[in-house]
Amino acid sequence: MTTRRHSHGDRTISRSAYVQASGHLEEQTPRTLLKNILLTAPESSILMPKSVVKPVPAPQVVQPSGRESSLGSLELQLPELEPPTTLAPGLLATGSRKQRLRLSMFQQGVDQGMPLSQEPQRNVDASSLTSSLNLTFATPLQPQSVQRPGLARRPPARRAVDVGAFLQDLRDTSLAPANIVLEDTQPFSQPTVGYSPRVYRSLPCMPHTGAEDAELAASCKARSSGPGMQTSPQKPAQFLVGEAEEVDAFALDFLSTSSGISREDGVEPLQDGVEEAEKRMEEEGVSVSQMEVTGAQGPSRAEEPKGHREVTETEESQGTAEAKGPGASSGVEDASDRAASPELVSSTPESLQARRHHQFLEPDPPPGAAVLSSEPAEPLLVRRSPKPRTTGPRPQQALHKAGLSHYVKLFSFYAKMPMERKALEMVEKCLDKYFQHLCDDLEVFAAHAGRKTVKPEDVELLMRR
Amino acid sequence: MEEEAEAEEQQRFSYQQRLKAAVHYTVGCLCEEVALDKEMQFSRQTIAAISELTFRQCENFAKDLEMFARHARRTTINTEDVKLLARRSNSLLKYITDKSEEIAQINLERKSRKKKKSEDGNHNSRELAEAGVVESEK
Repeated sequence: MTTRRHSHGDRTISRSAYVQASGHLEEQTPRTLLKNILLTAPESSILMPKSVVKPVPAPQVVQPSGRESSLGSLELQLPELEPPTTLAPGLLATGSRKQRLRLSMFQQGVDQGMPLSQEPQRNVDASSLTSSLNLTFATPLQPQSVQRPGLARRPPARRAVDVGAFLQDLRDTSLAPANIVLEDTQPFSQPTVGYSPRVYRSLPCMPHTGAEDAELAASCKARSSGPGMQTSPQKPAQFLVGEAEEVDAFALDFLSTSSGISREDGVEPLQDGVEEAEKRMEEEGVSVSQMEVTGAQGPSRAEEPKGHREVTETEESQGTAEAKGPGASSGVEDASDRAASPELVSSTPESLQARRHHQFLEPDPPPGAAVLSSEPAEPLLVRRSPKPRTTGPRPQQALHKAGLSHYVKLFSFYAKMPMERKALEMVEKCLDKYFQHLCDDLEVFAAHAGRKTVKPEDVELLMRR
Repeated sequence: MEEEAEAEEQQRFSYQQRLKAAVHYTVGCLCEEVALDKEMQFSRQTIAAISELTFRQCENFAKDLEMFARHARRTTINTEDVKLLARRSNSLLKYITDKSEEIAQINLERKSRKKKKSEDGNHNSRELAEAGVVESEK
């Protein structure tokens, strides 16, 4: 039973990711759940007795097969949720990974605390998936607490701080949109305000912890990102301001796009993306606020369980990447949908383009949603090497690259066969040129009609063929 | 009525064929010039392909020009529409822009000449004569 629990824990994390994404959860909103977790982070069990067991077996079996989180593995996971009991032997096999070990320790603690979990296990059904969602929220927090009680608080608090600090900085610094015509920011501002006070409170409470490099880096990142955000130019704020409508669509869309990316690909860009860390930070900070506003519950929740995985991943990849990278990535975890945010930011200057991409990506979200949650963490890791340096033109390039990388990942996913790095670079170059050309045309069309704003008529003219 | 539609269709088709033949002839002449210049021969199929391509592109251009004019809320196709159409090729765009400026200048000169003459000439006959001259110049 306990072994089953182990695998349940880490399985559920990924599981819950796409469970949330697929929108199965209905009873308890992820947002409220997340709030509860953040508020009660230091406390012990947030787990629902029901949710602990059920979904775990199903995702666990799938995980060993599909860590790559391809679409196929996603689908595989869903049906396997039905028979949890049969998956028990499979669960034992998978307990070798780091995350699972940590979770297993946690699971032991949970088992001790919750002997009732056995019974709910029997009642697995579709609705249990949603409860597994609850589990996922709790599990990521618990393992750390079990291992190092003193540090239990920090990761969640740190995450919250990152988001809140960024949002606050953004709010303070960026209020005047520069050269981009953006919509009003009201829908975004409200939710962030709610989060920020909580965040600031937790920030001072976080002592320096050398428990893990990633965590340490994350804390450094959080603090550095704070001042960094303040000095960041207004551009991120502009993006933040402008993306209101597209944020929602994009959050989901981009999450789905990243779902098809294999783990290896995610690690690679991590090393490459370290250079672009600073730009990413700003983007992500901006996008974070956007994400919160849009209430992308699924992705945000997916981030939570991802946190553990990313921490371990970052540790593994730490050899080459800077210390900041993983820290940034772990910090990124909290920023729900940071993956989506860079894309959102990049697409800001090309709002129409974003709209088209949204339509293009519509078919993806449903299947890829769950897988997405696991994937955005990796691209986030890549981008997230945070440096509070702020340079005007550089963030723009970073934004473009950030947006394009997701398209490249989607491309590689649809190719259904391994692709060379050179080929992907070529694809990225072509996409870049294509989008530039596209937007130049749109601009010219708008000017032709004596306007300065790109309107749907311009897009219609563009799509006439 | 159907017969009329058919006849009209046939008429349009024959008109189209005549236009295609004209394009084909012009393309043939141009290809001959190029062949003489580069000392390289053009096969008949090549010329036929180029003329067919040109004809279809002309159709596309016409539709695009109409859409551009409509996009600018006009009913007449303008030089601006043509410039928008030629934006792809930088050299072509530059050439067209220069030409359009030249034409605009000529028109301006003619207008100023017309105005001057009308101011000078008080006599109707003289005005008429000059107007006639101006018209013929155009």
